[in-house]
Amino acid sequence: MRWAGVFTILSAAVSVFLACEPPALTPNGVVGVFGDVGLGPGSFSYPRAIAAEPNGSVFVIDKNGRIQRFDENGLFETFWRMPQTEQGKPVGLSIHPDGRIFVADTHYHRVTIFDRSGTLLDSFGREGTGDGEFLLPTDVAFDASGVIYVSEYQGNDRITKWSPDLQFIEAIGDGEIDGSRLRRPAAIEIDAEGTLWIADACNHRIVRLSLDGELLTTFGHFGTGPGELRYPYDLSISPDQTIMVCEYEGNRLQWFSKDGRSLRRWGRGGRRPGELFAPWGATYGPKGRVYIVDSLNSRIQIVRP
Amino acid sequence: MSIVAIAFPLDFQQPVWLWLCLLIPVLILATLRSLSGLDPVRRVLAVTLRCTLVLLLACCLAGIERVRRNDDLTVIFLMDRSYSVESLQAFQEEFVRESTRNIRADDRVGLIDFARHAYLQQMPMRGGYYLPPGRLPQMQNTDRTDVAAAVRLAMAMFPHDTAKRIVLMSDGNDNIGDLITEARRARADGIPIDVVPLQYRHRNEVYFERMIAPTYAEPGEQVPIRMVINSQQRASARLAIYHNGKLHNISPEDSRVDLEPGSNTFYIKLPIETAGTQTYEAVLTVDDDSMDTVAMNNTARAFSFVAGASPVLIVTSDRSRDVVLFDALRSERVVVEMKTPDQLGAFTLLQMMNYSSIILSNVAAATFTDRQQEELAIFVKDMGSGLIMLGGPDSFGAGGWIGSPIEEVMPVTFEIKHKRIIPRGALVLIMHSCEIPRGNFWGKEMAKKSVDTISSKDYLGVLAYTYTPGGENWEVPLDLNTNKAAVKARIDRMQIGDMPDFGRTMQMAYKELTSGRGRDAAQKHVIILSDGDAQAPTQKLLQDYADAKISVSTIAIGWGAHVRSQTLIDIARKTGGRFYAARNPRELPQIFSKESSIVRRPLIVEESFRPQLISASADLLGGLRAGQRGLPELGGMVLTSAKQSPNVLVPIVRATDDGEDPVLAYWQYELGKTVAFTSGYWPEWGKQWMPWPRFAKFWAQVVRWTMRQESPANFDTYTKVEGNRGRIVIDALDKDASYLNDLQLRANLVNPGADAVPIHFVQTGPGHYEAEFPVDKSGQYLANVQIYNEGKHMGTVRTGLSVPFSPEYRDLSPNEALLHNVAEITGGRWLDMAPEKADVFSHDLPPSEAKRPAWAWVLAWLFLPAFLLDVAVRRLANWLAISIAVEIVVLAVLLFGMDIRFGPWWGIAGAIILAELIGWTIRFRYIGPLFDFVTHGATALAHAGERSTASLEQLKSARDRARDDRDEQPLEGLKRIDEKVEPRSERVAKRRFDAGDVSADKPAGDLGDALGGAKSIDPSSKRSSTKNRRAIRRIRAMKAQRLDCFGQGSVHQRIRAMKSRSSEAQRSHFSRQANEQRGTTHGQ
Repeated sequence: MRWAGVFTILSAAVSVFLACEPPALTPNGVVGVFGDVGLGPGSFSYPRAIAAEPNGSVFVIDKNGRIQRFDENGLFETFWRMPQTEQGKPVGLSIHPDGRIFVADTHYHRVTIFDRSGTLLDSFGREGTGDGEFLLPTDVAFDASGVIYVSEYQGNDRITKWSPDLQFIEAIGDGEIDGSRLRRPAAIEIDAEGTLWIADACNHRIVRLSLDGELLTTFGHFGTGPGELRYPYDLSISPDQTIMVCEYEGNRLQWFSKDGRSLRRWGRGGRRPGELFAPWGATYGPKGRVYIVDSLNSRIQIVRP
Repeated sequence: MSIVAIAFPLDFQQPVWLWLCLLIPVLILATLRSLSGLDPVRRVLAVTLRCTLVLLLACCLAGIERVRRNDDLTVIFLMDRSYSVESLQAFQEEFVRESTRNIRADDRVGLIDFARHAYLQQMPMRGGYYLPPGRLPQMQNTDRTDVAAAVRLAMAMFPHDTAKRIVLMSDGNDNIGDLITEARRARADGIPIDVVPLQYRHRNEVYFERMIAPTYAEPGEQVPIRMVINSQQRASARLAIYHNGKLHNISPEDSRVDLEPGSNTFYIKLPIETAGTQTYEAVLTVDDDSMDTVAMNNTARAFSFVAGASPVLIVTSDRSRDVVLFDALRSERVVVEMKTPDQLGAFTLLQMMNYSSIILSNVAAATFTDRQQEELAIFVKDMGSGLIMLGGPDSFGAGGWIGSPIEEVMPVTFEIKHKRIIPRGALVLIMHSCEIPRGNFWGKEMAKKSVDTISSKDYLGVLAYTYTPGGENWEVPLDLNTNKAAVKARIDRMQIGDMPDFGRTMQMAYKELTSGRGRDAAQKHVIILSDGDAQAPTQKLLQDYADAKISVSTIAIGWGAHVRSQTLIDIARKTGGRFYAARNPRELPQIFSKESSIVRRPLIVEESFRPQLISASADLLGGLRAGQRGLPELGGMVLTSAKQSPNVLVPIVRATDDGEDPVLAYWQYELGKTVAFTSGYWPEWGKQWMPWPRFAKFWAQVVRWTMRQESPANFDTYTKVEGNRGRIVIDALDKDASYLNDLQLRANLVNPGADAVPIHFVQTGPGHYEAEFPVDKSGQYLANVQIYNEGKHMGTVRTGLSVPFSPEYRDLSPNEALLHNVAEITGGRWLDMAPEKADVFSHDLPPSEAKRPAWAWVLAWLFLPAFLLDVAVRRLANWLAISIAVEIVVLAVLLFGMDIRFGPWWGIAGAIILAELIGWTIRFRYIGPLFDFVTHGATALAHAGERSTASLEQLKSARDRARDDRDEQPLEGLKRIDEKVEPRSERVAKRRFDAGDVSADKPAGDLGDALGGAKSIDPSSKRSSTKNRRAIRRIRAMKAQRLDCFGQGSVHQRIRAMKSRSSEAQRSHFSRQANEQRGTTHGQ
């Protein structure tokens, strides 16, 4: 009976361990996986960007030019298409505090704005290198005062600021930063302190600027070890104000403290749950979960970090 | 098996193996005997498990399959997008949308659209039709309709586990393929094809039915051209006639034609002035546009062959340089023309046929399209014409001709075969994923073309951003391009990824070209193929490239606006390369050929040498004598190697220490003749050749040798297009007008796709020969027929036909008869109605059956656990161990066998709870009484209830009496026991491993008890416990009798009472044995 008791306690512990959400039912803390390869509702053709409402839905855009909306558990809700996709598809998606969806319509060199049901509201920017112009915009962020920040690359490699009424204000980050210009700023985010974080993908580093463009911190270099990065394509500010970086080539997430210390890492290359294949993005979503765009696996993985 | 399949969703591939189940009764009998030492519950369990094992094994051997039956329906819509129904596309989309609006959740919808080719636009999937209006991709090649291909694709795309239906939306004007055959296949597969006829009728239409010209004509003749024009209404129009591409001058009055409804025939005679191929084209313009709906059918074409000496064509990139050859040939009375590539125009095979021989004088491969190169090769080998290639920086291997169809027909290979140290070239391709349809496909195709184009003496490497392993990788490491097939296979396997940055790959290429494998290359070149949206390299890296003299050419691949060209332009400009914006995939081969040939510069030798005439008696040079001082000196040449064929003759060579390089080589290849002259006669290389007195004679002899020999057989030929088939008819008569029978006709047909395919003539009458071939493209079909009589060549017939436009443009109304036929063959419906009434998703089809092999699952998750349980039941010491084993097995089967571990959390929690419940049920022996009940129920049935109990009681009484008698005679008993010492000790040992009643009644102890194993028994404790148990048994027996008398008590109590009674005899027997053992021990 003693062994029966031990076994039961172990079983109960396992069931509690598995039933609780954290390092959940599948390896490495994956709470859920949704999406598969396809063109139908709930399927993806190479998803590339994600954004989540704080307590609502998750939006995913794929290389088919579709924006799909899911509930927090990955249940399909609706979808709509980008107005034009012949030249290419967007790679950036952000949600304004007022609920509007801002899409960095990369290959059309503009930012397109929708409401959460897919109604086209507005767009701004045109192709070019001057003020008010974009070359391949990659991401959008918003500060507390409603100013819109747009990152772009391939020639421009800068962050432009736009007023809430979509008027160009200025460009920042277009000079040398710590010995090198930005090279493909793939994602931007503004933290609670009002500083701008940039995933400087082709320099394999993270750059922190003040909202006026003053350099505050840079960290990271190419590599696979802790604190090293391989094409950081996305970043997100965690609820405890650490920086979560999604490495496209590194096939992992890496959390950094604000002074650049690598706190922990998650994920490895592969096809199974808990493994990533060329992830383009990751974001914090409802209930503190992390939603990862597992691009080449054409799925979204939900992780409780 | 069908009964089994109806009762259970299972089927068997080889049910004969199920006869193994007959072993089960035998097994039961054998097992009951062999397991008699176990208590009844365990015995029943063990027997049951063993029978289960046999049953499962039989199922596995029989190939058990799961059968899934459902009435879910998959409907694949076939949407006709050919030209004839272009205006009905919106109607078709609307039909699909309305038909799929309110369908069952599990029904699936697929969509295939088709014209010449069929494309899958929506995989069969649940959720209806989701493509938004007008979002279907633009359809290419709408000039033909292949409904059969669409039906074939649909049949391949159906899921296997649903009912299937095809809905064909078409006008039925099928002009490729065989729809009826496909319909019969669909019927065989049980797939009905419902037809939605697309209705239209062009009431105002004028079109060319045909244009007829004689196959052969003579110079100076007036060739009669007959034109048949069909009109739906009375109309007037103007005819323009083009002869050899030039507008024939006719008066406005003569060009006006009045058309009556029906066919109208018109004649015109055209004067023939030159020999060669004559082309005719008639263009009809209707005065009133409203009388003509389709414009594409207003043109007709035909051609004739005119006997006479055809000229020779010199294709040169520099007329001033080749005028010396032009003049020399004219001085030798060779009819010759000279053109630059720009003047060639379309330069189709038909135009090539105007010439008996073509000279390519220092013209790069990139000058010609792939198609033109293929037609040039056909011009030689199938049409019996000549081709001469002259040397120069843009000729042979240096001109990018390596691997081209021209290399195949030339007497030399453009590679260097023998050992020779020549400077190498190095080419690195950087492949970037292109965000356009088929972008990566074209990238790979071009990479393979580069592999073909560069020499095996050069280095080739391919860099790409790939995912496995992740990052920038040498997909083809930079190395000599010796094994081209292997390199191309690696390129085919490449999965080109989305490269973030040009810098990394360019850095890798730079490193390998400057300090790695390619450091010794004399010519280093990089080609980047991209849509341009990767990050630009640093300026420093570009400067490094420029300093190292590594040129980088960039090719922006993209057929629309999606090309980010500025970065690519910068890279090319700063490294001395070239930038190309390929807006059309057809441009790519020429670009790659041109770029790849950059590394071939080392094939050019620029040093003076005196060519040696080693075979002056060769037929090409008959009568030519090399002067006393030999042939004039040459100042350079392109290195090649003579082909290893006995047909190849190399009369002039350049002798070196490494061997001989061919200067002049020639051979006959199939029907044609080709010559390679690897040097040149212009001032840089042939300063002494131009003043050479025999210059003109030399070249005239060379050219004349290659010229096509015209030996026409004067047979009547006739060509015709009938539906999808073309027909050539030859009537063979000799000069006495007698029929020539049993001729052998060998012919190759060159279709508009520049494919030369053999056609077979069949004699269908006296001297009457016919051949048929498919006509599925618009353009010229040319046939070169070699005629033999008893193995002797009688001559050549050249013929052909022209298909100016597709029959698609001639369809004025739907072909409803064909569509009705298709619906009738397949049992489909005629849905000439609104979509809501059509009820496309009516569930009136038989349910589908999907079978999946299940033997592996049965083996892993039923057989193996049952086997483990069988061992556990027989071997484990007590119920605690068994309960844990059962728990583990149940948990494993649920989690892994049912794949619950990937299910929701409550699924896993439920599995654990269930396993625990079963485990604890066994542990507390709640399940034990149930087994007892079953066991005793079976016994009671077998012994007719009370009668069996009475018999048992009698037996017990008899045994008690026998025991009492034996106790009274201890001495005899001792003797008997002494004789059985050995067997008894064996039994004791066996019991130590048994899980009999002794251990079952004992409370769980330690792990040794739980997991079984040998354990010594203390005889004293055994004695005392035996006394106690005997007392307990008596009390139980009394209690049971009381219960039986009153017929009261719970089921549990009754079961326990029954158990107590039934095991009484056995336990008494064991206690007697113990007493006997004690007595024996004491006696000893």
